[in-house]
Amino acid sequence: MKRMMVFSKRNFIEMSRDVLSYIFCVAFPIAMLVIMSVVNSSIPKQAGVTMFRIDNLAGGIAVFGQTFVMLFTAIGVAKDKNGSFLTRLYATPMKARDFVYGYIIPMLLVAFIQVIMSNVTAFIISRVQGSELKVSGLLLSTVMVLPSALMFSAIGMIFGTLFNEKAAPGLCSIIISLGCFIGGIWFDVEGVGGTIEKVAKCLPFLYATKVARAAIDVDFKKENFIIPMAVVLITAIVLTVLASFVFSRKMKKIV
Amino acid sequence: MNEKAIVINNLTKKYGNKIAVDNLSLEVNKGELISLLGVNGAGKTTTIKMLTALTKADAGKAEIYGFDVEKESDKIKPIVGISTQDTAVAENLTVRENLKFMSDIFYENSMDADEAIEKFGLEEYRNIKAKQLSGGWKRKLSIAMAIVGKPKVLFLDEPTLGLDVIARRELWREIEKLKKETTIVLTTHYMEEAQALSDKIAVMIKGKLSAFGTLEDLEKMTGKKGLEEAFISIVEGKCKVIR
Repeated sequence: MKRMMVFSKRNFIEMSRDVLSYIFCVAFPIAMLVIMSVVNSSIPKQAGVTMFRIDNLAGGIAVFGQTFVMLFTAIGVAKDKNGSFLTRLYATPMKARDFVYGYIIPMLLVAFIQVIMSNVTAFIISRVQGSELKVSGLLLSTVMVLPSALMFSAIGMIFGTLFNEKAAPGLCSIIISLGCFIGGIWFDVEGVGGTIEKVAKCLPFLYATKVARAAIDVDFKKENFIIPMAVVLITAIVLTVLASFVFSRKMKKIV
Repeated sequence: MNEKAIVINNLTKKYGNKIAVDNLSLEVNKGELISLLGVNGAGKTTTIKMLTALTKADAGKAEIYGFDVEKESDKIKPIVGISTQDTAVAENLTVRENLKFMSDIFYENSMDADEAIEKFGLEEYRNIKAKQLSGGWKRKLSIAMAIVGKPKVLFLDEPTLGLDVIARRELWREIEKLKKETTIVLTTHYMEEAQALSDKIAVMIKGKLSAFGTLEDLEKMTGKKGLEEAFISIVEGKCKVIR
């Protein structure tokens, strides 16, 4: 446990000293929140577009930000793996679980900080726009989105373990695009229906967005929160176990 | 009789059809520094990887301080240190943070980060990020990180690769100091380095141990003066090898 925390601390410090992590994990999601709010204010009310309303946008942006947590997890793991740093650590008493959770824990912390910042921004925007975002919902969502942060970190961990520094970020961008497109962040997937909706419902991203939105609305209805949360939780656990397995296997084969 | 730090018996490693290490048998006494020499692809690094439980042998057995490297890797890992060919440091951490990190990883019986800083003369660079260090200082840091866990056996894989002559000599002095308290296995392509630092020298050719002994042994065997000439003679097969 001590070694896991020591490794987590190292990973957090390394990430906190990388300017790009601030740009992608904090500034970019907040910028998108502001831009989309401006877009929303330009859409006539008669058009009936609710996707970019701050109560919908805040939850979507929380999940959007987490996709970059996945990207940075993948980059961190791939970078360590391709250098000799991990080889050195493999020769120490560290166990596979120390590595896996040592990478994931700081990413959960980053995701937590990220959602707090985007929720604070969303709250300010809601006050400026005169709309009502519940403070209790915003507070609740900071915790309720953590399972999806775990899910994205685990995906990043798997990509970082299996692929090199060049391939892993590329694959993450596919997930980022896919997550945004069929995760219901930028448009109403269920409203579109058809194949898109069917595909979206087979993947966990839409459920992650639903959880975030429902938490912000303090809406615990079965279809809006409980079922999506169950899907996200199960996916996060399965992917974390898979990440541990993949990393352990790679650890034995890497050198 | 000298106590053995490392005992290797018929260690073999294959990558596909290629034999990287072929029936290697070797013994290293406690407190000795041995150099593993050989041309590229001779099996030096693979041998180190097997001895540090980083890779499994296909056959044979190795023991470090009486522990089976493969079956008792949990007991081996706290007592070995490794400095790899590439400088294995956390680039965004400072010198002190890197050393503190390794100290915390070993925690039981490890050296304090400040003690390692002092030991390796890194005081001036204490708060400098590893990525801002020159090649020589980064190497020093990398070796310091390998000894923070107070290893009984230290593996240095080409520790002075790419360093200028001054930085190399400085590192030699550090390695000399470590010799007193640690058993060291060093791989290098620099003959003068092996000659200056080693108690014994092992020459590997295509995964096989071709010669092993003191510098005097190798000189006697080859009839050549100096390690470089003796090494060339062994590698070119111009002499009968000690086995």
